[in-house]
Amino acid sequence: MTGAATHWHAPRSLREALDLREDYGDETVVVAGGTFLGVLINNGVLAPEAMLSLRDVPELRRIEIGRELTLGAMVTHREVENHPEVRRLWPALAHMFSLVASPRIRNRATVGGVLADADYASDPPSMLAALGARVVLEGPRGRRELPVEDFILGLYETAIGSDELLTSVVVPGGHEAAVYRKFRTRSHEDRPCVSVAAARHSGRLRVVVGAAAMQPQFFPDVCGMGASPREIADEYAGRIDALSDARGSAEYRRRVVAVEVRRAIEETHHG
Amino acid sequence: MADPRSGGSLRYSQDVAVEGMWHARIVRSPYAHARVVSIDGSALPENTVLLTPDDVADLSMYGCQIRDEAVLSRGEARFVGDPVAVVAAPTRRLADAALALVEVDYEELPAVFGIEDAVADGAVLVHERHHVSENDAAYFGIRPVDGSNVCHRFRIRHGDVEAGFAQADVVVEETFTTDGAAHVPMEPHATLARWTDDGRLEVWSGTQTPFNVRMDLAAIFGVDQSRVRVVCPPMGGSFGAKTFVRLEGLAAATARKAGRPIKMVLDRAEEWQTLNRHPSRITVRLGAKADGTLVAKTVTCHADTGAYADCGPGVAQKMGFAAPGPYRIPNVHVDSHCVYTNAPPNGAYRGYGQMQSIWASERTMDIMADRLGIDPLELRLKNLLREGDAYATGEVMHDVAFEECLRNAAEAIGWNEGREGKGLCVLMKGMQTPSRASVAVDALEDGTYRVRCATVEMGQGARYAIRTMAAELLGVGVDDVSFPDPDTDVSPYDTRTTSSRSTHMMSRALVEAVRNLREDGRTGVGEVADQGGLDPDTGQGIASSHWHQGAAGAVVEVDEETGSMKVRHVHASVYAGKVVVRAAAELQNEGSIIMGLGTSLFESIDFADGQVMNANLSDYNVPSITDLPRITHDLVEREGAPVHGLGETALPPIPAAIGNALQSFGIRPRSLPMTPERILDAIDERDAQAGTRELEAAE
Repeated sequence: MTGAATHWHAPRSLREALDLREDYGDETVVVAGGTFLGVLINNGVLAPEAMLSLRDVPELRRIEIGRELTLGAMVTHREVENHPEVRRLWPALAHMFSLVASPRIRNRATVGGVLADADYASDPPSMLAALGARVVLEGPRGRRELPVEDFILGLYETAIGSDELLTSVVVPGGHEAAVYRKFRTRSHEDRPCVSVAAARHSGRLRVVVGAAAMQPQFFPDVCGMGASPREIADEYAGRIDALSDARGSAEYRRRVVAVEVRRAIEETHHG
Repeated sequence: MADPRSGGSLRYSQDVAVEGMWHARIVRSPYAHARVVSIDGSALPENTVLLTPDDVADLSMYGCQIRDEAVLSRGEARFVGDPVAVVAAPTRRLADAALALVEVDYEELPAVFGIEDAVADGAVLVHERHHVSENDAAYFGIRPVDGSNVCHRFRIRHGDVEAGFAQADVVVEETFTTDGAAHVPMEPHATLARWTDDGRLEVWSGTQTPFNVRMDLAAIFGVDQSRVRVVCPPMGGSFGAKTFVRLEGLAAATARKAGRPIKMVLDRAEEWQTLNRHPSRITVRLGAKADGTLVAKTVTCHADTGAYADCGPGVAQKMGFAAPGPYRIPNVHVDSHCVYTNAPPNGAYRGYGQMQSIWASERTMDIMADRLGIDPLELRLKNLLREGDAYATGEVMHDVAFEECLRNAAEAIGWNEGREGKGLCVLMKGMQTPSRASVAVDALEDGTYRVRCATVEMGQGARYAIRTMAAELLGVGVDDVSFPDPDTDVSPYDTRTTSSRSTHMMSRALVEAVRNLREDGRTGVGEVADQGGLDPDTGQGIASSHWHQGAAGAVVEVDEETGSMKVRHVHASVYAGKVVVRAAAELQNEGSIIMGLGTSLFESIDFADGQVMNANLSDYNVPSITDLPRITHDLVEREGAPVHGLGETALPPIPAAIGNALQSFGIRPRSLPMTPERILDAIDERDAQAGTRELEAAE
């Protein structure tokens, strides 16, 4: 980073963290694992004067397992990936986290951080949305929950208020099937060109496409129309306003969506 | 004894420190072509030094092959990232902070990007004139085309191609391209410069070319070469990136103004603005008789060298003279061009232009094999150069091993058990010619020996290999032979550590050095010089005093709905003659193969109006361990054979072997890297052609 001194807030409890957040708001950048912020700061894109680190907040590190799975915001990708009960009961979720970047990154990157970044090319949002997960936000007005697909508003844009913190994610259990397909065009450690998460719960299908557009793409009406996997896939490919980047052009992404959505739905039938 | 690299005790070039040194950062142009109107350092705190074009107006132009570079570009930036000023401060952190305080006003000028636009009529000229350098790296007849962006054109004229094509039953013509790529050494460029009290310039630099750097620094500052000293600590990788003058002129000029030593270490992102690999466009026309006998070939190469020639003319030359391939072809014309654009400079990269022309030529061989209905291995075996054959340059081939390498590669991938998804490539690759290597061996008072040698260590294990060879000749253990950092004040002259030449050249020079040591008792110097060179207008002469020979095979699977390719297995076979240090030789093969996979699959610099859009290791991917297929390789040795260089041989054949494996499915990739999107386009093209053929058959 470029010389400027940074004030570093390191609260040791959730109460303290929420108070600091309320006091400082967006003037202070919240840092979780730092894998994304670190890149921005090193590249000079961001030079925050103050940061609020959630590293030492024990309440945010919990994994609670019941009918639903609660992942504290500071739980790392690696912890989800390796948790025996998560692997048994939410295998697709654990598998998805195991596909992110490299172990070095997964040891640092957090569940809350990746959602709050709302980067279009991250793996977890589409899988969490397909599983029907809810983001828990806490602030001076109390606690509220939002479905992941409503939480992410656009590229790097979320529903977090300037006095709120993302404290956990709640993932429903009891899916009949859940699948995550990560389609890469470059290194195995790269982000996806297109990702498709599909899950069935109580006979209802949810298909969410990640990395193809500026935010996760979910069309409940298409999923609910009882059509064949191919028809649903073609409809997704037609509706998604795909983007172009170094991982693939918009036109290429639409073709991949048509293939990968079909395959993901087919897998939910067989898996 | 723990390896100092794994134990963390090795001092790399970026670790060099001297008392009183300051740290410097480069102010870089945000425009691809602009005139610097003004530079304002008034916001800089005390205790900073700002180097501007006014401070270097007395310095001379330089360039290893074309004299087209000036320290700070004399106020005209020619690429995004071109240094326009330097700021120095007591610490790196202060220098970083100072960098943000320098205000520069620019007047943007028209720029030119890409080979096609650069060679078009009326193109913006990146340089008005092309002055051939006096550096000894300008070792061949450089033929700039004044009034154009072509800073060198090279030709091979062998036989009569018109008559040759007239005899052909089948002629194929295809155009191939390769994207720019980055070297990505783990250690970035690092240089420290200081002026001694008696006015000598001393430079510690991570460079593969100490004597060329000394020559150019002497030219820049107008002093005798003896007034410049270049020391080369070990580098954390280079792959060609750290060749010729990079930071040395800037550091020395800043040190002169600051009156104190100046250290420069680049940020990772700056690496993409410093030196990259040449993008290329290559058109191959190949004619054969129905029985597979090759009768004529023309190759037209264009290499995009960016805003400064650097060693681009040499790269275009090698791209050209490797283009005929290891085949007997009676009629060959090659036209290779080195072209300026307003991109960051492109220069040496492991394989030096030859990967690009081998990709084009060896892909064409499989397209020809398909057209003829001949097995690609058979087509190659039928035409391969054998002992005593003359190459297209007229030179006679000796110590030939193409067939053995090619058969090894074919066998390793199970060529005879069905060739679906399998591809082969065979190559010849030149070594720096002419070149000279000298080495000194001293007997020390404690009974051990010291090698003084300008071969630099960049992770390839050259020092250990040279110590091993010296120890063998001296009849002592390797630990009794030391090899201090190359230093132009004490190491005898060597052309440079490039083109897989060091172990080969030094193995010969050491024999003489040790013989002379035995006579003298204290010191022995040995020197070898390989003569040669080509007529730039006919390409006749000696292209390479020593040819690197190898082959590769690849096995792939393709998801035809998405174009996603899985490489299952890659094998490379490399002619070693005699292996000196087996573990190091094997690592060279493996490293070359892995770099070749990156080039094949996804390495690509993404430009937008001359700006590198992916100058970081998240957006620019290099292969990780999880990307590797099954990798196997072999080193071909022969009784009594000399030591052959092998630091790069396994890289150039990998892309074509993979491309040819796709060809076995009728998919014809023509651009590198072979991304899934490009493969899907090639699948569409195949299916469209099949549709057209069916329609024609129905009519």
